[in-house]
Amino acid sequence: MLDATRIHVRLGRRTILQGIDFRARPGELTAIVGPNGSGKTTLLRALTGDLSHGGRVRLNGQDLATLRPWVLAGLRAVLPQATPLAFPFTAAEVVRLGLMGGIEAAEADLVPKALARVGLAGFEGRYYQELSGGEQQRVHLARALAQVWHPVAHGQPRWLFLDEPVSSLDIGHQLQVMQIARAYADGGGGVVAVMHDLNLTAMFADRVTLLAEGCALARGTPAEVLCDAALSRAYRCPIRVNTPPRGGTYLLPHAAGRIAAE
Amino acid sequence: MVAISPGIPAPDWDRRPLARRTTLALAMALAAVAVLSLAVGAAGTSPWGVFADLLAGREVALVDRVVLFEIRLPRLAMGALVGASLAVSGAVMQGLFRNPLADPGLVGVSAGAGLGAISAIVLGGLLPAGLLGFHAVPVAAFLGGWASTLVLYGIATRRGRTSVATMLLGGIALGALAGALSGILVYMADDDQLRDLTFWGLGSLAGATWAKLAAAAPLMLLALIAAPMLARGLNGLALGETAAFHIGIPVQRLKTVAILTVAGATGAAVAVSGGIGFVGIVVPHLLRLATGPDHRALLVNAALLGATLLILADIIARVVIAPAELPIGIVTAVLGGPFFLWILLRKRGVLDL
Amino acid sequence: MIRPLFAALALAALPAQAADRVVSVGGSITEIVVALGQGDRLVARDTTSTYPETVSDLPDVGYVRRLSPEGVLSVDPDLILAEEGAGPPETVALLQAAAIPFVQIPDGYDRAAVLAKIAAVARALDVPERGAALAADVGAALDAAAKAAEGPARRVMFVMSVQGGRILAAGRDTAADGIIRLAGGENAVTEFEGYKPLTDEAVTRAAPEVILMMAREGADDISAQVLAHPAIRTTPAAEARALVRMDGLYLLGFGPRTAQAVRDLSDALAKAGS
Repeated sequence: MLDATRIHVRLGRRTILQGIDFRARPGELTAIVGPNGSGKTTLLRALTGDLSHGGRVRLNGQDLATLRPWVLAGLRAVLPQATPLAFPFTAAEVVRLGLMGGIEAAEADLVPKALARVGLAGFEGRYYQELSGGEQQRVHLARALAQVWHPVAHGQPRWLFLDEPVSSLDIGHQLQVMQIARAYADGGGGVVAVMHDLNLTAMFADRVTLLAEGCALARGTPAEVLCDAALSRAYRCPIRVNTPPRGGTYLLPHAAGRIAAE
Repeated sequence: MVAISPGIPAPDWDRRPLARRTTLALAMALAAVAVLSLAVGAAGTSPWGVFADLLAGREVALVDRVVLFEIRLPRLAMGALVGASLAVSGAVMQGLFRNPLADPGLVGVSAGAGLGAISAIVLGGLLPAGLLGFHAVPVAAFLGGWASTLVLYGIATRRGRTSVATMLLGGIALGALAGALSGILVYMADDDQLRDLTFWGLGSLAGATWAKLAAAAPLMLLALIAAPMLARGLNGLALGETAAFHIGIPVQRLKTVAILTVAGATGAAVAVSGGIGFVGIVVPHLLRLATGPDHRALLVNAALLGATLLILADIIARVVIAPAELPIGIVTAVLGGPFFLWILLRKRGVLDL
Repeated sequence: MIRPLFAALALAALPAQAADRVVSVGGSITEIVVALGQGDRLVARDTTSTYPETVSDLPDVGYVRRLSPEGVLSVDPDLILAEEGAGPPETVALLQAAAIPFVQIPDGYDRAAVLAKIAAVARALDVPERGAALAADVGAALDAAAKAAEGPARRVMFVMSVQGGRILAAGRDTAADGIIRLAGGENAVTEFEGYKPLTDEAVTRAAPEVILMMAREGADDISAQVLAHPAIRTTPAAEARALVRMDGLYLLGFGPRTAQAVRDLSDALAKAGS
């Protein structure tokens, strides 16, 4: 269980989060959505322990502030939006960075397994910097997966925190990444994802928290949260859900997902 | 995309075995140059002859004994330690600053050590005679290097967090300040002191004595032993400080230990050998190109290669114009500069990564 | 290891018989050794020992303040004669550890210092009579030169270099100051000791009548450039085009040739610009 109470964050003079409560359960994919600047990423960074904040975050019943970095790293992995890499590491070496201290460190074949999981089988020896943006992002996903490969360890759920995991991916890889996150939750782990794409959120999330101006506007199942009123208010434009446009071309991942499944 | 993209999977994508073989090869090279450095020199002393005489219980000529045990041996030890310290410090700095061009100068060690040495050379006469003897320069250089690093670390650390960027900028400011103070001292210096300053800046192992070694070696050894423990953390830091924290690195502690290690090792190395350039940048670079940026192999190999190269440079420095000798800084720069350029030209593609 | 060495050092510190493998460190020391007729006992010299010509064939053990211990030992010396400031101290300590006698010859920039140097070198080489004779000759020549140099003192500025347009001049307590005095001149720069850069205004105020510089072998004649320097152009020396250049070791060495150098310099000062 991830249980955050009264999370309050100020950056400089601006208050970014005004005392948000947030909960996420293992076995579920919890999405954080909201317009630009609503505090989604800030909330995620508070939940991962990156940011000094008011309030308290408890992960599996332990106060985040008291956990040593290497203990925390065995409990949760984080996929940031963008990760610059300083030296010419290969894809395999980047993934291996995730293995450093965790219980997975002994599993020799985990590096190719993790790369294969994100669709990068055979990329082990490629230089990270030579990969495309989407490939780089998936290498980091493989790194995060390798860090907490088993969704449950020592009887405790483990957690994946994803900050806009599909932002630079094509639709095929968006679905692939979301399916990986879904599978992780189905395996008993917890997944918390900051999402921009409301369609993918509706497809894959179990629970959704909608943020606007540093406050939680709504929380619940996608069906409950992603409704005309809440979305229109949060995004400050009239939004109508489940309404096909009257002409033109439109394209939904839902349809692609079904085709892929067939 | 996966199926379409023409993946070039290297069959041996794991560079660790290569790095281990490199470690072995470098260790053998170090042993070879170490023997060479005992055997080669302006004086015709042969270590084999001396050892044979010692084993046979024969009297060894005093000059041979001095040359072997008081000149070549401490010099070999000093060369190995200084070379290893400079190369490892360079590698640690580059890892810490996430920049392949970083060198210990960035944390103010060099500027502070230079100022310390200049102060000792110029103002040494004002000290009560014999207070530090001829160790005044190395002691002052070490204290200067260490002090400036601590000042810089203090400036860059707020609420328990060290900002690497502040450290970089502060290092530039502190360097300028140290340069100005050095300038004042240079102005005060007389002709002979100016000569000493110039030669100090060029670096040399000629002053290696057991006494200096006894003072400087523990620090350098301590740093060399501590450095491999930083390897995993520095690997993580390649992802940035946040991601390093995510994978379990105690980032602040890593930065503190890394900075202190570099200040100790570089401060001691610069103190006993003066300014020896290029080792700290060229050695880690070469190894990264050869076996990859994994610090677990890089730091060990850098120590071995740094030691080997500096001993080799010292052999050249003392043989090429014997019975006089070149400052070793000239040798490392003359050999290192063009070689480095050649590497850059050949590997331009990889370096831009 | 170290202790037995020092024990040996104490025993071997004084050579039983006169040394015949001598390393001479310092240009004027080497000149004195040769002037004493002992040039054949030299086995090596330092970089600053360039006179007489014959010594340039000897192995060069490096710059006087940066001697390499093994380099010096490699010529198997049994005596090292060094001018003041030879070093570094680590090398001197090692040479002493190897039981090689290391004799420092005191330096100075006047008549007495030259004679003292000659006496010290002669004593170290165990030829005191020759030393006394040479000292007497040099002393007499210096006296004669001083007599010849009598007359109105001219203001002389010794310019070490004009690197980048900055003038590095000799102040008090320098070899240049000493030789100018001996030649009956007056150092125009007395505000500081040693060699320091002078501001352009200080050059103007010093108002030297003669500029004195070292002649560097192989270097182009830069007299015209120096006289055209904006600050020097304002001085009486530039007006009279009074610039004297002499060989550095000859002029500043304070050795056996110094009497001749004093004569040459005082002649040059008298002639310069007139």
